[in-house]
Amino acid sequence: MIEKVPSKNLERTVAVIGNPNTGKSTLFTALTGVHSRIGNYPGVTVEKKVGWFEFEGQSIRLVDLPGTYSLSPRTIDEMVSVDVLLGRQAEVGQIDAVVCIADASNLERNLYVVSQVLDLGLPTVLILNMWDVAQDRGIQIDPVELGNRLGIKVIPCEAHRRRQIDKVRSGIVQACNSLKPTPPDLFPEVFHEEGRRLQAEFLQISNQILPTYLVERLILDVGGQLETELTKPDPEQLISRLKESRERLKLVQFRVPNIEAKLRYGWSRKILTGVMTVPEKRPSTATDSLDRWLTHKFWGLLVFCLAMFIVFQSISWAAQPLMKFCELGQKHVGEMIGSLLPFGPFRSLMVDGVIAGVGGILVFLPQICFLFLFIALLEDCGYMARAAFLMDKLMTKVGLSGKSFVPLMSSFACAIPGIMATRTIENRRDRMVTILIAPLMSCSARAPVYWLMVAAFFPRISWVGGWITLHGIMLFVMTFFGAVVAVPIAWLFKKTLFKGETPPFVMELPSYKIPSPRIVLHRVFDRATAFVMRAGTLILATSILIWCASYFPSDHTEEQKVLVEIRQAETTFASELDLKEQLNQLRENTVNRKEPLLDAVPLPEIDEKIRKLDERLKPLHDLFDTRNKISEQLLANSFLGRFGKVIEPVVKPLGWDWRIGVGVLASFPAREVIISTLGTIYSLGGDVDENSQGLQSALQSANWPDGRPVYSIPVAMSIMVFFALCAQCASTLMVIRRETNHWGWAGFTFVYMTILAYIGAWIAYVVTGWLMAA
Amino acid sequence: MSGVVSQALPLELLTAGEQGIVVEIDGAPELVVRLEEMGLYTGVRVCMVQPGAPCILEINHQRYSMRFDDSVTVLVDLVQ
Repeated sequence: MIEKVPSKNLERTVAVIGNPNTGKSTLFTALTGVHSRIGNYPGVTVEKKVGWFEFEGQSIRLVDLPGTYSLSPRTIDEMVSVDVLLGRQAEVGQIDAVVCIADASNLERNLYVVSQVLDLGLPTVLILNMWDVAQDRGIQIDPVELGNRLGIKVIPCEAHRRRQIDKVRSGIVQACNSLKPTPPDLFPEVFHEEGRRLQAEFLQISNQILPTYLVERLILDVGGQLETELTKPDPEQLISRLKESRERLKLVQFRVPNIEAKLRYGWSRKILTGVMTVPEKRPSTATDSLDRWLTHKFWGLLVFCLAMFIVFQSISWAAQPLMKFCELGQKHVGEMIGSLLPFGPFRSLMVDGVIAGVGGILVFLPQICFLFLFIALLEDCGYMARAAFLMDKLMTKVGLSGKSFVPLMSSFACAIPGIMATRTIENRRDRMVTILIAPLMSCSARAPVYWLMVAAFFPRISWVGGWITLHGIMLFVMTFFGAVVAVPIAWLFKKTLFKGETPPFVMELPSYKIPSPRIVLHRVFDRATAFVMRAGTLILATSILIWCASYFPSDHTEEQKVLVEIRQAETTFASELDLKEQLNQLRENTVNRKEPLLDAVPLPEIDEKIRKLDERLKPLHDLFDTRNKISEQLLANSFLGRFGKVIEPVVKPLGWDWRIGVGVLASFPAREVIISTLGTIYSLGGDVDENSQGLQSALQSANWPDGRPVYSIPVAMSIMVFFALCAQCASTLMVIRRETNHWGWAGFTFVYMTILAYIGAWIAYVVTGWLMAA
Repeated sequence: MSGVVSQALPLELLTAGEQGIVVEIDGAPELVVRLEEMGLYTGVRVCMVQPGAPCILEINHQRYSMRFDDSVTVLVDLVQ
C-alpha cells in the first residue's frame, strides 16, 4: 500500500464509471456544471467527456467513461474504459480515484462492475444514485455498513434533484487523498498462478509487459476485445498458449468464462445480506402502468406512430414563424451590406456568394433546434427503449434485432452519432447491416431540402381546423421514406452479404422520468453549434467556390451599369414601391382571412390598384428584365454554366435543369450545400425581381429557356427522393470507414446509395408526372 | 425458497405473472456472459411480465425486454 501525499493544489484525475441508465450523465452535469468538454479518444470514435470542478480548494478533473455493465473489454467502448482506468490512455494520464455510480434500486447487479473496479486497487467511492426510486420501491439500504464491508465510502444521492451533490464532491476529494484499498480477492490462488504463468509467456514470446489485471482479464474474457489486441504480435502462438491456460484451469473446476459471474454475484449477495432489504413483492409504479399501454402490441404501436406524427407536424407548425423571421433577417443583412458596397466582384461575392449561400442554410436553424429538442426529449424520458422493444418484431423480419433500432432512430438526427451508436450491437453482421443502412435514415441535413421544396411547390392545404396540414404530411412522408426503402435493402444485405441467424435481443427498460431540461437543452445547444459551425466552414467554402465558378470568366461591366440604373430608379420610385409593398401585404391578409372584415377592401379593388401601380413602375420592371437577361447569359457562359451544360443530359431524365444538376453535384461533400448553391446560382442568375424574398420565390419563378417553369411537383418530388436516398455526406463516409476499418465499405455505401437515388428520383419524377396528369 | 418445483423449463414458456429461478444458462459463451453481466444469472429470480417475442422480464425490480433463440437457452425452476 502506498500512501498518497495530500497535496491540495495539484489537479486530480477521477474516472466516472457505472451501468447504463444509472443517471451517470445527470450526475456528471450536476457535478461539473458548464465546465465540460466533449471530444474523441485518438484513433477511435469513443466519446471522451471531461469536466472540471473545485471543492474545498482541490481541483478535480472528471473523466466520464461510457456506461457499461462490466469491465470485461468486449467492445471498443469497454476497451477504452479499461485503458483509461489502468492509466494506459496517454491523453488522460494516471487516474487518482474512481467514482462508481450504481442504481440504488438494483444494487445486486450494479455491484458486479463495482467488484471489477475494486480489483484495480484504486481509491474508489460508490455513489448510490436514484435513492428516492429505491425508497419508493421499499428498498432499505444501510450505506454506512455497506461502506464498511466494501472498504470504501458509500454516498446516497439523487442527482436529478441535485440532492447530496456536495456530499458527492466531498467524497471524491476525500477518495483522492486516501489510501489505496485492498481489492476483495474473489478468485482462487490457482487462477492468479495461471495469470503469472501467462504473463511470463507473453513476455517471452512477444516481449509485451502486461499488467496483471489485463492478463487475468485476458484469461476470463473468451472472444473479447483483449484477445484480438494483445495477441496481435504473434496470433498463432499466443492464442494457443491462452487456450492451454484455460484448459488447465478447466481441469481444476475453474470454468472460464462462467466462473466469473458466479463468483462476483456470490460476493455481491454476501455483501448485501443484512445491508439491504428488498420487499418480496414489487410495488406497482407509474412506469408499470404507463408500460401497460406503451408496450402493448396494438396501442403501443399506435402511440409510437402518433408520437412521430405529432413531432413532425409540430416542427413544421412551430418553426414556420421563426423561419420567416430568419429569412427577413437574411434579406435585411443582404440589403444593408449591398447598399454599403460599390457594385463589383466583391459586392457580388458578399451578397450573392456568402449571404445568399450561408444565409440560405442558416435560415433552417429553428427547425434543426426543434428536431433535436424532440429527439433529446424522447431519449431522456426513457421512451426510446420502449420504441426499440416495439420495433424488435419488425426488425426481426429483416433479420435485425431491436438493438439496431436506437442507432437507426438517432440517425434521424444525424447518421454520424447513429453509426457510432451501433457499437452496442455485439453481433458483427448485424452491426455491419445497421451501419450500411443508417445513412438512409432522414438526417437533419436533408430536412432543409424537404422544407424548401414542400413550402415552395405544395399547396397550402389544411384539415381539422388547421391542425393537420398537407405540408406536415409531406414532411412526415419524406422523413420516413428513406427508412421504408431501408427495409428491403437491409433484408437484401442480410440475405446476401451478411448471412446469419438473428441474434437474441436483451435491453434494459429504464423507469420513465421527467426529462432534465439541462441535459435536453445542452444536447440541442451542442447540435445547433455544430450546425452553425458547419455553415461557417464547409458550406462557406463551397459557397465561395460555387460563386467563383459562376461569376468568372465573364465580363460583368454591362450588368453593373444596369444595376446602377436600377438603384437610381428605385430611389425615384421609392414612394410607389412602398405603396406597392403595403398593397401586397393587404392583399395577402385579405386572401388568408377566412371571414372578411366588414370594412375590408374587396380583392378586385386591391388588384386594380396594384395593376395601376405596376404601369407606373414599368421603367423599373424593364430594367429588371434587362438585368435578368444579362445575368442569365453571364451565368450560362461562366465555368459553372459550361460545366452544367455538359452534365445536363445525365440529369434531364430526372426533370432537372443544369442548375439543379450542378447544385446536386456540389452537394456531394455535404447535402445541405444544395440550398446555398441554389441560393448563389439564383441570386447571380437573375431569377429575382423586386418582390423576391429569398430562395423560395426564386425557385418558383425559375424558367426553362422556352418559358416553362423548371420546378413543378414532379421535379420537387424527384429532387426530394434523390436527396432522401443519396449518400451526400463526406463525414458519414469517413465514420463508416473508421467504424468498419475499411475504405471498401465507405465506397460500397456511396455507390449503392447513389445508384439507388438516381433510380428512385427517376421513378418519382415519372410516377408523380402520371399522377398529376390523371 | 419454498414451493420450488424441481423441474426445469425454458424461461420463455413462463406465462404472465409467473416466477422462476434460473438454474442453467446454456449457449455461446459471449452471449451467456453478456446476459449474466446484465443481471440474468444462475440463481436469480425472474418474473415474466409480458410473454412473447420479445418478452418483458423483471429481475430484481428492473425490467428488461428480451427475445430468445436457439443460440441461448435459459432454464428456470418454476416458483409456485
